Amino acid sequence: MTVLLGYSGGLLVPGHHVLPPLAIALVAGVLLPRALSRSHWAHRTPRLAVTVWILLGLALIASVSLTALQLLLPTAGSHHLSRFTEACVVSGGAQCGSLLPNGLAGVGTRGWAALVAAASVPAAFAVTFVRELLSARRQRVRHADLLRLVGSRRPELGATVLEHDTPAVYCLPGRGPQVVVSSGALEVLTRQQVTAVLEHERAHIAGRHHLLVAAAGAFCAIFRGLPLARLARTEVPLLLEMAADDRALRRCSRDALATALYAVASGQAPDMAFAAGGPSAVLRMRRILTPHAACSPTLRTVFVALTAAAALTPLVLACCSVPGISID
Amino acid sequence: MRRLGDLEAEIMDRLWRWGRPATVREIVDDINHVRPVAYTTVMTVADILHRKGLLRREKAGRAWLYEPERSREEYTAALMQDALGNTEDRKAALQRFVEHMSPEDVSALDAALRAMGRVPGSAEEPGAPS
Repeated sequence: MTVLLGYSGGLLVPGHHVLPPLAIALVAGVLLPRALSRSHWAHRTPRLAVTVWILLGLALIASVSLTALQLLLPTAGSHHLSRFTEACVVSGGAQCGSLLPNGLAGVGTRGWAALVAAASVPAAFAVTFVRELLSARRQRVRHADLLRLVGSRRPELGATVLEHDTPAVYCLPGRGPQVVVSSGALEVLTRQQVTAVLEHERAHIAGRHHLLVAAAGAFCAIFRGLPLARLARTEVPLLLEMAADDRALRRCSRDALATALYAVASGQAPDMAFAAGGPSAVLRMRRILTPHAACSPTLRTVFVALTAAAALTPLVLACCSVPGISID
Repeated sequence: MRRLGDLEAEIMDRLWRWGRPATVREIVDDINHVRPVAYTTVMTVADILHRKGLLRREKAGRAWLYEPERSREEYTAALMQDALGNTEDRKAALQRFVEHMSPEDVSALDAALRAMGRVPGSAEEPGAPS
């Protein structure tokens, strides 16, 4: 099979080197995300699970980028590329020149096209990510401008209070971060519950969770339709809420946090249009009230190792060929 | 810039409390009870607020009479709407303690709380970190 696929006589016949990155893309983009979203350990160790989602995202970007590269490069060129990369890494850049006898001019149009195609995948992600961050910041600045006029700063709470009957608690992360509570929330919550919700929001700010939410959003915008993107879009924010819950629990009791969650949720006028937050709040509630039993570390370790491998292989197998045993 | 922002809040606060149009002179005099502030500074900031659409003004003799465009409650409601609204693209902008929920979901929360034998105000248990 290798020989068949590796046949490079035709211009558009892709080399066999396409297979490894394609396989990694399939594993990181479809199989592992489905398994991860169903796994039990993810919600028990949310921070670890978020790391795994990030690794999966990186693995996918790297493998799609490599697939593009290998599709466009002729087989022989892809072998050269591997030697080139290897020599550069091993020699720390000193021997790069010797592998390109004709210098950069010898790379050829097709080679350049391949490089551009490969670079466009991470570049598209970076651009979308930055755009997402900027648009979020614009919204926050607009919000904060008005908040400064109508809200009252309460140093003893470390929060800004909005005079409104509906209970609401949220934070504006980023530059000049602040936690906002409505007077309605202060009305229905006890002192311990207030501490609990404020700690939860401060955990979002301290953990810079808005960056990860934006990254998941950008990822979803680019790889729309892929299970990894679709699942990460909902799972990552939920895991971050759980991570913030865990952090709040260092300073408050399980009861305080769980009952605060219910008090705030039930105090807001229920609305049929808002189904999105529901199941996730119930998941959080159960999790807060049930102290975690030690979960099977073996399964988790296997999963993390697998993901780390998926994230690293595209780099290691920059071209899946080791000079000397490549089939030419 | 920080000071200008504070002054904006001070001006708006007075106009909302008074509930009537006022001149820059009146605002300056009132702020001067608390701290010294220059007439020209207040005039500049009032003009900024006018250009931002927060204050409307009309000529009364030789001075401008300033008045808030909307009530404090209206702006607060707008902020709450912004914060609690169900817009997907708000996700990265601000983070809510809990999302707005449907009645079914709220009763599911209630059930989850009761299933664990908890009701608001029940005995505390030590909050062991996970």
